[in-house]
Amino acid sequence: MHSVETVPAHLEQTSAQVLIASRLAKRFGDRVAVDDVSFAVAAGETYGLLGPNGAGKTTTIRLICGLLRADAGQILIAGQPISTTATPAKKSIGYVPQEIALYPDLTARENLRFFGRLYGLHGKALNHRVGKVLDLIGLSERGRDRVESFSGGMKRRLNIGAGLLHEPTLLVLDEPTVGVDPQSRHAVMESVRSFGAAGMAVLYTTHYMEEAERLCDRVGIIDHGRLVAEGTRRELVAQLGEHDHIQLTATGDLAALADRCRGLEGIDRADVKDGQIQLLATEGRRLLPAVLEAAERIGTTVRSVEVAEPDLEAVFLHLTGTALRE
Amino acid sequence: MTALAVAAASLRRMLRDRTALFFVVLLPVLVIAIIGTVVHNPGGFRIGVLAGQAAGPALATSLVDDLGAAGPVEFQTDEQAARTALRRGELDAVVLVPVDLEATLLRGDDVVIPVLAGGAESTQSAVRSAVSAAVARHAERVQAAAFAARRTNSSVAEQLPRATALQRVTPRISVSTENVASGSDYLPLGFGYSAPTMLVLFVFINALAGGATVVQTRQLGIYSRALAAPVRARDLVFGETLSYLTFALLQSALIIGTGSLLFGVSWGNLPAAIALVVTWALVGTGAGMLSGAVFKTPDQASAIGPVVGIAFAMLGGCMWPLEIVPETVRTVGHATPHAWAVDAWITLLSRAGGLADIATDLAVLAGFAAGMLGLAAVLLRRRLSS
Repeated sequence: MHSVETVPAHLEQTSAQVLIASRLAKRFGDRVAVDDVSFAVAAGETYGLLGPNGAGKTTTIRLICGLLRADAGQILIAGQPISTTATPAKKSIGYVPQEIALYPDLTARENLRFFGRLYGLHGKALNHRVGKVLDLIGLSERGRDRVESFSGGMKRRLNIGAGLLHEPTLLVLDEPTVGVDPQSRHAVMESVRSFGAAGMAVLYTTHYMEEAERLCDRVGIIDHGRLVAEGTRRELVAQLGEHDHIQLTATGDLAALADRCRGLEGIDRADVKDGQIQLLATEGRRLLPAVLEAAERIGTTVRSVEVAEPDLEAVFLHLTGTALRE
Repeated sequence: MTALAVAAASLRRMLRDRTALFFVVLLPVLVIAIIGTVVHNPGGFRIGVLAGQAAGPALATSLVDDLGAAGPVEFQTDEQAARTALRRGELDAVVLVPVDLEATLLRGDDVVIPVLAGGAESTQSAVRSAVSAAVARHAERVQAAAFAARRTNSSVAEQLPRATALQRVTPRISVSTENVASGSDYLPLGFGYSAPTMLVLFVFINALAGGATVVQTRQLGIYSRALAAPVRARDLVFGETLSYLTFALLQSALIIGTGSLLFGVSWGNLPAAIALVVTWALVGTGAGMLSGAVFKTPDQASAIGPVVGIAFAMLGGCMWPLEIVPETVRTVGHATPHAWAVDAWITLLSRAGGLADIATDLAVLAGFAAGMLGLAAVLLRRRLSS
C-alpha cells in the first residue's frame, strides 16, 4: 500500500470526508481490476461510481469494505485505515451487496437482528434499531414474515435495511437496483436520496446513467479499472463543450455513412453500433440537414433521428469510445 | 458474540427445515422400530441341531424338543454348515445328537453328547449349562422309563410315554439364568442393536447433508457481507461449528430418548455413553463442516452427503455386524469412524464396558473429528477470505 504521503492533494483528509480512497490497485492474475483509483466522499454526499459491467466497480467496493486486500493504495474510513481484518473502521460502513444477502428462511426481523449482532448491537438497543429500520424501509407489517415470501422489491429494501442497522457514517451500495421493477427501483432511489439528506456519506455504484444523474452529487466514471473522470454532472458534461449526442437508426451501408459524417465539420465522433450510428457533434441540430444529405447520397435510408442534450452517457462515450451498457 | 449469532441463525434455519426434520426425527425412529422388530431377540440361546439327527428315532426327537427350553432350535443341513453358522455368530451352540442315541440308551449304556460352542468364554459356559439342563431333563425321563421297564419286565420304549407324562406333573426345581452380558462380539439383537447403530448412522448422514446449509449461506453472499462487519472469518467458522454440534447433540438426545422410552434400550455406563455421544457428535460436526466447505452447491451436499454416509455406515458396521464380514472388509471398515463408534457401543452395551474400555475408540474418533474439523476450518476460511 502507498503511504499517506502519496495521497493526492485534493484527497487530503478533511473533517467532512468520510471516505478517502487513494491510488487503489488490484489485480487478479494478469487482469487489472482496479488501476490507480482515487476519490473521496464527504458526509451528506452521494457519490456515484458509474461504469459498465466489469469496469471494476464491485472490486473497488470490496476493497473499500475490507473484503479484498488491495495490491496498492490506501483507504481511510472516518480517518481510520481499513483492512481485511476485523478493524474498528468497519463499524463505520454499512455494506449493501449487489446480491440479496439475506437468509430466505428467516423472518425480516430475524435477519436484521442477525446483522445487528454482527455489529455489536444487542438487547434493547438492537430491538429498537430493528424496529426503526423496519419503519424506515416500510416493512414494519412484514417483520415476522419469512424473507422467501417477499417480493423482489421488498427483499431489496430489506437488503438495504440490513446495512443501516448500526447507523453507519458511510453507506456503500453496490448496484442496489439490479433486477428490480420500476416501482421498487424508484422506492430504493428515494431511500438512498434520504440517507444523503440525513448526513450519511453514500457510495453508490451503478451502470444506469439515469440513476447516477438523479441521485449523485458527484460521479466517478470508471472503465477498465480506471477512474477516467469525476465531478458533478455539470462538470462532467462541461468536458464535452457544446456537444450534442445524435443517434441515427438507418439501413444500408452504415459504415460508409459514419465515414462520411466524420468528414463533416462539427462532428467529433461517429460510431456504428447495433444498426445505429452515434454521433457526437457541436451544435448537432444545425448539422442534421448535412447528415441526412450525406445519407441520401450514399443510398442509406434513415428511419429515425434522435438528438439529445449531452448527458453522462455522452460523457462516457466521449471518454471511453464505448457506450455505457456495452 | 459473533459466533453465537451465527450459531443461533444456522440452528434456527436447520430446525425450521421440515424436510430435514423428517430425516432427523421421524426416519431414525422409524428405522429403529423396523430393524428392532424384524431383527428381534428370540430370547435364550440359539441352538443348532443337524436336521438328519432331529428327524430320527423318538428319543432323538424328544431330546431336540427338550433343547428348545434352552432357546430356539435351528436346523442345519450338516456339521460344516453348523460350524460356519457358529463362527458367524448366527448360533450360540450346536448340539451333535449321536446317530445311535436311541439304540445306546435302550441298551442301557452311557451316552456322550458333543456340543460345539462359539463366542466368548462366558457365553460358552452359559450355553453349556443350558444344554446340560435340557439333556438332564431328557435323561430323567429315559432313566425313569428304564427303571420302570426293569421293574415291570417291559421295554423302555413302552415305559417312556408314562415317564414323560409323570415328568409333566412332577414338581420341578430349576435354576433361572438371565443372559445379561453374553460377551458376544456383535451388538445384541432387537432395539439394543438398532438404536445405537442408527444413532451412529443418522447423526453422521444428517450432518453431511446439512453441509448444504453452509454452502447455501456461502452462495447467498451472507458470509461475505458479514465479513464487511468487524468480525473475523474464524468467528463465522466457529459459529457454524457450534450450530452443527448442537444439532448433532439434539439428534443424539432424541434417538437415545426414543430408544429408552419407546423401545426400552439400555445405553450402558452413563459417563462412557455421554463421552461417546459427544465425541460422535463432534465427528458429525466435522463431516458437516467439511461438506459445507467442499461442495459447490447445496444440491451436491444434499445428494452426495447421504450416499457417502450410507456407504460409510455399511462399511462401518451400522447395517450388519462386522464380525460376519471377511477380515479384509472389516479392516477397510475401520477406515471409517463408524466402525470405531459401533465397536465402542458394543463394548458399552454388550460387554458392560466403561470409559476405560472404550478409551481407544474415543481417541480414534476424536482424531477423526479433529482432522475433519481442522480441514473444514482451513478450507472454509480460505473460501470466505477469497
